[in-house]
Formats: sequence, structure tokens, C-alpha cells
Amino acid sequence: MEHTQQRVVHANVVFGKQDEDHWISEAKRGSKHAFRQLYDMHIGRVYALCYRLTGEKGMAEDAAQEVFIQLWRKLDNFEGQSQFSTWLHSVTANITISYIRKQKGWVQRMFNLESSGIHDMAAESQSTDIDLEAMVVRLPERARMVFVLHAIEGYRHEDIASMLDMAVGSSKAQFFRAKQLLKDYMGYGDE
Amino acid sequence: MAMSNFDEQLSQQLNSLAKEKQPERDLFRGVELGIEAQRNGEEKQSSNSVTNNQWLAIAASVCLVTVIWLSAPLAFKTENTQADTYALIEALSTQQQQQVNSLLASYESTPALTQDWQQQLKELDDAADAVKLALKEDPDNSALIKMLHHVYQQQIALIERVHAPKWQQI
Repeated sequence: MEHTQQRVVHANVVFGKQDEDHWISEAKRGSKHAFRQLYDMHIGRVYALCYRLTGEKGMAEDAAQEVFIQLWRKLDNFEGQSQFSTWLHSVTANITISYIRKQKGWVQRMFNLESSGIHDMAAESQSTDIDLEAMVVRLPERARMVFVLHAIEGYRHEDIASMLDMAVGSSKAQFFRAKQLLKDYMGYGDE
Repeated sequence: MAMSNFDEQLSQQLNSLAKEKQPERDLFRGVELGIEAQRNGEEKQSSNSVTNNQWLAIAASVCLVTVIWLSAPLAFKTENTQADTYALIEALSTQQQQQVNSLLASYESTPALTQDWQQQLKELDDAADAVKLALKEDPDNSALIKMLHHVYQQQIALIERVHAPKWQQI
């Protein structure tokens, strides 16, 4: 029985991949229907990354739309050498970071201020009922982006430094800062 | 110890974090509109490049017409025959027709603001033909030449006016 279940799971993966390949090639030929299928298959992961990087629902929606608008144009660049989801994830991260940069006001850029979340967020009690996502989106922008890319998405600091146009050391420092803030938010601050 | 508890809890939280998150509304309509807008933008850009070429052609025509126009009085003072003078007027008419055609081509995709502009253009055309007919008999008549020039200006103004974007009309 267990063996049969494994086979079913395996078949789903294989057929899912075949479907995806089919929709990709159809979308490359200009089929909006196929592109909608790709959207439905990937919007969940794309939006999750956009939301965690931007830390705000409205911006995440705009960024996710921007990702798919760009995807329509860039689809021909996907040559199938890597998994589509991996490639799309990398496209999403880059487009969202660029979107955030565009949205930042000139004052912020001039004075290098950070749009931070609630720094003085009340510390949660050390319960297991912690909403990590809510805490992550409240981190200051740079710390949040580094934390999301490194801890959640698994990018190396070297890659993050290049994506965010910062030194590798800065990426590591921002990650440390994010962890310290999360520690405070979770109520470990006084220990 | 506290740090290790924190690390452990953070690690657990990260592992249980949902990989997907659905937006609260369907974003695909916006994506479709964005793609459409992008496509229209590209088309407009490519048609604009044609228009730019057309504008260059128009500018060149205008320059040529001006040069011919300025030199016309001098030409009329020379001992050219009446036939030569009328040939100059024919050249002006040809230039005007090219200019009108270029303008019409550049505004091909722009909706006109009035319905009867083509009728008005036709009337101006008829007026120009009548003046040209008179000029055929009397090519040195400066009043008629001025009149023809005025009719041609009216034609250009009419085409531009009926195709100008609404905000320019305000």
C-alpha cells in the first residue's frame, strides 16, 4: 500500500512536470490560456516571496503582477536547463528587489533611511504559538530582505550581496541584526 | 542556552513556514492588462519611429516648399516663360500633396475629432484646383499665388486640428 502511494506521488510529480513543460512551450507561442495555467501553478510561491520581501500586501500584489508581466516577455529566455520554479524564483527575487528600489522615495535614498517595521514591537511571550511571518514582515527593510533570502529562500550571502548591491559582510551583519530583532520579538530579549 | 532555545525555535518556525501564500484577490486581470499595455506601448513606439521618419519627411518638404516659395518672386521676375512659372506652381502642388499624404499616414491610427473633416479637406482641394486653374491663365498673379498658399496652409491646419489629442484642444 505504501509502495503504491509512493508510485502515485511519483506519477503526480512526473505528470505535473509534463503539464508544466507543455504550458511553458504553449505560453512561449503566445497562448494566454497556457500562461494563465502557469500563473495558477506558481502564484502562491511568487506572492509569498514578494510579500516577505516587501513586507506589505499592496506592494506584494503589485510586485507579483510585475513578475508575471515581465515573465511573459522573458519566457523565451528560459531554456529548460534548470527547473522552471527555480528560475522563476530567481526572476521573482530580482524583480521584487528592483521594484522595492523604485518605490523607495528620494528622501530615503538620499539619506539612506530604512523603512523599518515596528522596531519596538512588543515582545511575544515565549509560546510555541508564534507567527514568524508577521514578525519577518515587521523587520527593517534591509534586514528583512537578507533574512528572507538567506534563511527562508536559502541564498548564499555572496549571492544576496550581489542581488542587493551590498558587501558580503553587510549581508551577514543584516542577517545577524534580523535574528536579534526576531529574538526580541519572540521574547528572548531579556535572557 | 537561551540563544540555543531561540535558534531551535526559529529553525522549527522556518521549517513550518508555508512555502506558498495566495494573494487575497486574483491578480491575473492586472497581469493581462499590463501585458496588453506593454504590447501597445511597443507597437506605439514602433509606429512612432515611422511617424518620426514621416515628420522628417514633412520637415524636409516644408523646407523645400519654403525655399521654393521664397525664390518664387525672384523666379517670376526673371525672363522665364509662363509655362516655366506654372511648372513651379505644379511643383508646389506636388510638394503639398506629399505633405498632406505624410500627415494623413502619420495620423492613420489616431481617431479624428470630427466626422466631416474629409469633406472639408475635399472642399479645400477643390478650392486649390480652382485657384490653380486661374493661375494656369495668369501664372504671374501674386494674389492668386498667395491664395493658393493660404488654401494649402488651411489643409495642413485642418488635418492637424482634427487629429490633435483632446488635451491639446483644451
